[in-house]
Amino acid sequence: MVEESPRCRGMRDLLPADMARFRRVEEVFRTACLAWGYQEVRTPTIEHLHLFTAAGTLSPQMLGRVYSFLDWDGWSGERVVLRPDATIPTARLFVERLQQEKLAKLFYIQNVFRFAEGDEPREGWQCGVELIGDTQPRGEVELILLACQTLERLGLGPVEVRLFHPGIVRSVLAQAGLERADQVRVYDRILDGDLTALAEVEERLPPLGAPLRLLFEGEGAGSAYLANLGSAFQKAVPQMARPLEELATLVDTLSALGCRCQVAAALVGNFEYYTGSVFQFVADGERVGGGGRYDGLIALVGGPDVAACGFALDVAKLARLLPSAEEAIPWQEAVCVRPASERADVVVTAFAAIGPLQQLGLRTEVALVRDAPSACRWEVTVKPSAKGIGYSLYDRTKKRRQAFAKLDDLLAALEATGGGS
Amino acid sequence: MALKLALPAGQLARPTDELLRRAGLTVRGYTDGSRSYRPDLDGRRDVFLRVFREKDIPIQIALGNYDLGICGLVWLKELLTRYPSEAVVQLRALPLGPSSLYVATASDSGLTSLDGLAGVPGLRLVSEFPNLTEAFALSARLPAYRVFSVSGAAEAYPPEDADLAVVAASSEEEVQAQGLRPLYRLLVGSPWLIAHRHSLEGKDLSTVLGPLMALEGGRQPEDGLELPSALAGPPRPPLATGRPATTVRLALPDGHQQPSAAAILRAAGLSCQGYDEQGWVRRPRPSLEGLEVKVIRPQDMPQQVALGNFDLVVSGRDCLMEHLLQFPGSPVEEVVDLGGGQFDLSAVVSEDLPAASLAEAVELWRRRGVKVIRVASEFPAIADHYARQNHFWRYQLIPISGASEGFVPEDADVLIEGVETGRTLAENKLKTIDRFLHSTTCLIASKRQPPPGKAELLSQLIERFRQVGSSAPAADR
Repeated sequence: MVEESPRCRGMRDLLPADMARFRRVEEVFRTACLAWGYQEVRTPTIEHLHLFTAAGTLSPQMLGRVYSFLDWDGWSGERVVLRPDATIPTARLFVERLQQEKLAKLFYIQNVFRFAEGDEPREGWQCGVELIGDTQPRGEVELILLACQTLERLGLGPVEVRLFHPGIVRSVLAQAGLERADQVRVYDRILDGDLTALAEVEERLPPLGAPLRLLFEGEGAGSAYLANLGSAFQKAVPQMARPLEELATLVDTLSALGCRCQVAAALVGNFEYYTGSVFQFVADGERVGGGGRYDGLIALVGGPDVAACGFALDVAKLARLLPSAEEAIPWQEAVCVRPASERADVVVTAFAAIGPLQQLGLRTEVALVRDAPSACRWEVTVKPSAKGIGYSLYDRTKKRRQAFAKLDDLLAALEATGGGS
Repeated sequence: MALKLALPAGQLARPTDELLRRAGLTVRGYTDGSRSYRPDLDGRRDVFLRVFREKDIPIQIALGNYDLGICGLVWLKELLTRYPSEAVVQLRALPLGPSSLYVATASDSGLTSLDGLAGVPGLRLVSEFPNLTEAFALSARLPAYRVFSVSGAAEAYPPEDADLAVVAASSEEEVQAQGLRPLYRLLVGSPWLIAHRHSLEGKDLSTVLGPLMALEGGRQPEDGLELPSALAGPPRPPLATGRPATTVRLALPDGHQQPSAAAILRAAGLSCQGYDEQGWVRRPRPSLEGLEVKVIRPQDMPQQVALGNFDLVVSGRDCLMEHLLQFPGSPVEEVVDLGGGQFDLSAVVSEDLPAASLAEAVELWRRRGVKVIRVASEFPAIADHYARQNHFWRYQLIPISGASEGFVPEDADVLIEGVETGRTLAENKLKTIDRFLHSTTCLIASKRQPPPGKAELLSQLIERFRQVGSSAPAADR
């Protein structure tokens, strides 16, 4: 059955008000990134599928939702995809073009495509940052501060940072004697709430100081909670020490910088992908982005063994959450130029005035539809007069009209009343 | 509104017919040699039956064109793996004998289990079931694999032209009999009775549903698909292709093109043991030294040339056009028109449509308020190109795998189809309104320069075929 709407399912139009919000998010994010010394990149919309299929890049669930197809020259059988994620293409870009750099600080604003059921969005927009190089643990601190700064400047503070570490659960599953592939399977069962999986793992471990479910169900406010986890589990699972320590260092530093952290320890998606701390950003009670450390990724896409971490913010979600004050477009600080007749010289004069008005830093519009009202603060009417063509300037806020024979005089008057920067 | 039931053509037709009889449903015109695709159920007007290729049945049910259907689990999963749809409801497995899908390699490949594939880049997988094959590769986390979708004869490809074949068979022994070694059973299950969800929720289907649901036996789990775990292992070198660099490789067609290809071969003075007008084997033995021959489906040949697997193939111009319209950059070309196997690719509509040309038909559909023109074809790239070139505006392309004459008018407005005499069309109350591509058997080769080791033999062979082409009667060319 072909759908009635001419718009593809899961695809969204952005109206002028939506675009204003989107641009606001992008602008604040871009300004923050540049201020922290990051450089903007953009990767192609289409990439090879194999970039995403290597173990540890995308999860099988995610791979099942990519838009893949044979390109016009795809007789070689190699499929391509509409970019389902922006981190992996950026890693590919680094390997191909920037490998010689010891430290790459990159950011991007890109769309990603993933199939979703029903009317759920199938195209998303990400503001993302990738920090490639040996930066642990300072890199995570910088990324989290950058993300929090962006969110706060958008008026979405206070931001809560939720921290996890897949090394914690990995150490438990390894201690239970599970191979890597089995670890992923059991972990997925635990994420799905299958309590029998937890019981099976617990049976394979030496006696623990606390029930294993506490590791998955509980969460705490800081390093004290991490210390408690260490006391409960570290004796039976000695490999847990390192991830706990990594998290504790991060939590202590961020707390000292005034960041609100919540530690959830074990439960995190994309178990295969992350190798170190994982973070999520919560604003207005909603998860608006996340990231973490993925030290194996650069090697997986064919590069050297270089560490990497990063985060991405969901632009659409942020645009929706923006406080309403951000929505107002300062149209009233604009000038509408209205030709009073259809005479060719009047119309030419009206359009010729636009350039000089814009040079004053003003937003301008020509009244294209006769008699259509304008929301601009100033209205310039261009009309024939006894001496040729004259101008009339009306200031709506002051309800005052002035007549000018020359454009220069009108521009000077506008500048004097605060029009232009 | 009549209950619409989709029945399978091919190997499953006879067992399905017998099963329906056992359930007390007598179908006429299904397996008695009729060329119509619309059998009837005891002359009842409230039940509409239609015969499809098995592969098309889950698609028709998902689209809501039919209320109930019977098809193999493998085709059902082939659709749902790629396009999960809540519109298809699995009602019950039918006691029609299970079938399985195996991942197999050549029996002499040295691979004995899936573990041997861990970390091997660039694996070539071939199958009639590309979606399930893709799901297998993703689940096993094969690095940088390639899946080649073929229209049949997947078992012919390993080891020279593929590393793995994903094939349907009733048992491991059947896979072995095809010269393959099964490595993994990906799916097992019997054919299923399926329904469109909305029909099940709002339409009385009891005439057919009742007797079929009451049948004994055949109960099975719904899924049947067993995807493998990620294969873990260090990176390994790619597998060797096993193709000698100096041998010229020729592909010959199976199916209905085989007798005329055998005649062409004989006329070219190329005797080939195991390939003549009477029959064929997958790997015939040519008398000419330095030549290797394999028999595959003609539809799959142009891609094989583009890949460099074969130097020459005997196929149809329709197959070449289909390939080139899908992949315009493909380095393949027709080098000799061999005549024979002639037909015209045509636009076909219902006899009842009062239009004598495509322009009249499009105009009529617009006047009648047809918002979306449904275009069915076994040649989806050609049909897509044709619809674009002829300004169909909004159209829905329905790729089908056969039994095409039954689609119009119920399930498609126009059919893009090869027409020879037009007799089958007339029997199905159809007519041609535009013949747009004349297709004959032709020799296809790569545009690339051949390696020095095989250039001489290759040009000798092309010359032999050229003589056959130029001596064919004009009417055949």
